[in-house]
Amino acid sequence: MLGVLLASLHEWLVAPFDYGFMRRALVASLALSLAAPPMGVFLVLRGMSLIGDAMAHAILPGVALGFLFAGFSLPMMSLGGILSGLLVAMLAGSVSQMSGQREDAAMASFFLISLAAGVMIISLGGSSVDLTHVLFGSVLAVNTTALVLIASISSVIVIILAVIFRALVVECLDPLFLRGQGVRGSLAHGAFLGLVVLNLTAGFQTLGTLMAVGLMMLPATAARFWSKRLEGLIVVAIGIALVASTGGLLLSYHFNIPSGPAIILLAGLGYIFSALFGSHHSLLQRLRRRAAPLGAETPELH
Amino acid sequence: MDAKPARLRLHDLQLAQGNRTVLEHIDGEFRDGAITALIGANGTGKSTLIQGIMGMLKPIAGRVECRVPRERRAWLPQQLALDLTFPMSVEELVMTGSWPSHGALKGYCAAHYRRGREIMARLGISHLAHRPLGELSGGQRQRALLGRTLMQEAKLLLLDEPFANVDAETVEVLMTVLRDMAKEGATIIVVLHDMEQLSRLADEAVVLTGGHARWVPVESFAQPGGTLPVPFLSQAISGVSAC
Repeated sequence: MLGVLLASLHEWLVAPFDYGFMRRALVASLALSLAAPPMGVFLVLRGMSLIGDAMAHAILPGVALGFLFAGFSLPMMSLGGILSGLLVAMLAGSVSQMSGQREDAAMASFFLISLAAGVMIISLGGSSVDLTHVLFGSVLAVNTTALVLIASISSVIVIILAVIFRALVVECLDPLFLRGQGVRGSLAHGAFLGLVVLNLTAGFQTLGTLMAVGLMMLPATAARFWSKRLEGLIVVAIGIALVASTGGLLLSYHFNIPSGPAIILLAGLGYIFSALFGSHHSLLQRLRRRAAPLGAETPELH
Repeated sequence: MDAKPARLRLHDLQLAQGNRTVLEHIDGEFRDGAITALIGANGTGKSTLIQGIMGMLKPIAGRVECRVPRERRAWLPQQLALDLTFPMSVEELVMTGSWPSHGALKGYCAAHYRRGREIMARLGISHLAHRPLGELSGGQRQRALLGRTLMQEAKLLLLDEPFANVDAETVEVLMTVLRDMAKEGATIIVVLHDMEQLSRLADEAVVLTGGHARWVPVESFAQPGGTLPVPFLSQAISGVSAC
């Protein structure tokens, strides 16, 4: 009985990774799952949840130009994506500063322009198959070069995030404290947006430009239902992303469904489950809400 | 009189918000180890002067001479500057005071935690150590923020209406701690709107009116017919409540 169970588990959970393309897809997804969720947590805390979506569109023209000039060369497409994303972020910031228009309005305008420009460029130079590949990615087609690139970018993101972590926390909590120390909040903000662009660039090969932001935001929004501590939010978000990535790949393999949407939908299920049954502010918690009596132990952050 | 020049001196300072000059020809020094009250009606430039001193507003003319290292300068703004939804506990907020001098990457050592606990005990908030900031009352939050400046070992402390919306017990605790900090040599500048608090806390006062500043002894406010000309005084403290 136990042997059958173990064999079944092996067939479901381990055997798919006998294939090289599945192993590469797994490593790429896990690398992204370590780097993307912390960015999502900060985006949520800064009230910028939709900025990730906007930036995902902003990298598209650069990716398309890279594709147009070098074909399916991931380094060229990534370089194009990074330059395009940073350019759009700077343009939106500049227009906002010069005209007084809110940054989210300027960002919305530029990301729509970017989306249209990107689709136009790909359509002129390729086919609808190419367009689908760029928009929705193909994690099972990750080769060794792409894997090294994704892992390198993810590592760089984690390291830079560690370096600017305290500045980001202070900028979120109390920007005046940061300015009082002679650090301009806009520097931390700019570096952070740069990391978001890098992250999305790393993610577009596996999940596509449109869905790469899903692995960043869904685990982060779900984590808010499980922890009230910053470190807790980050750990929970990474955990959800790791489970969604691995589970999505396995579902994709066993049921012959597209891998990118499977990963993001699993993360989405994680969000819905958290909203219903999470330990903080979930529907279940609201239904069972009881106030602690006077003099009871102080509720601690966890 | 102390022969050594004060750590914080203003030299013919002119400050503007946009194209509008708010303060000009500000000359004077803030005594080390003293509490200076900054008073004036709304719009007379109290916040502008604080921004200028903290280096957040570049002077149009003149200069701020401040010999306090940046990591020892603290500004306690009005409470609304904080994002209260941020997932941080009281203890974590107090510990952030060590960041400017301790560095960005190093973790806290036992001595940091011990000092953090001592500070929270001094401010009467030990029992709130693990409570989220969003669940604190105005007074508790103000104590936690002052705890951060103690952790920072601030030698220059600027406070913007620290007693607004704060209960009487917290006012007493904050005043005691501020007086102790001044005794230990800190230069403290505090924006006040309450004459009774001013006379109890401050060693001297700077009155802002008509774009100018004037250093006056606190007794001028406490005693009728003090050293200030009556029109100047009444113009300066219009909007300042007497208790």
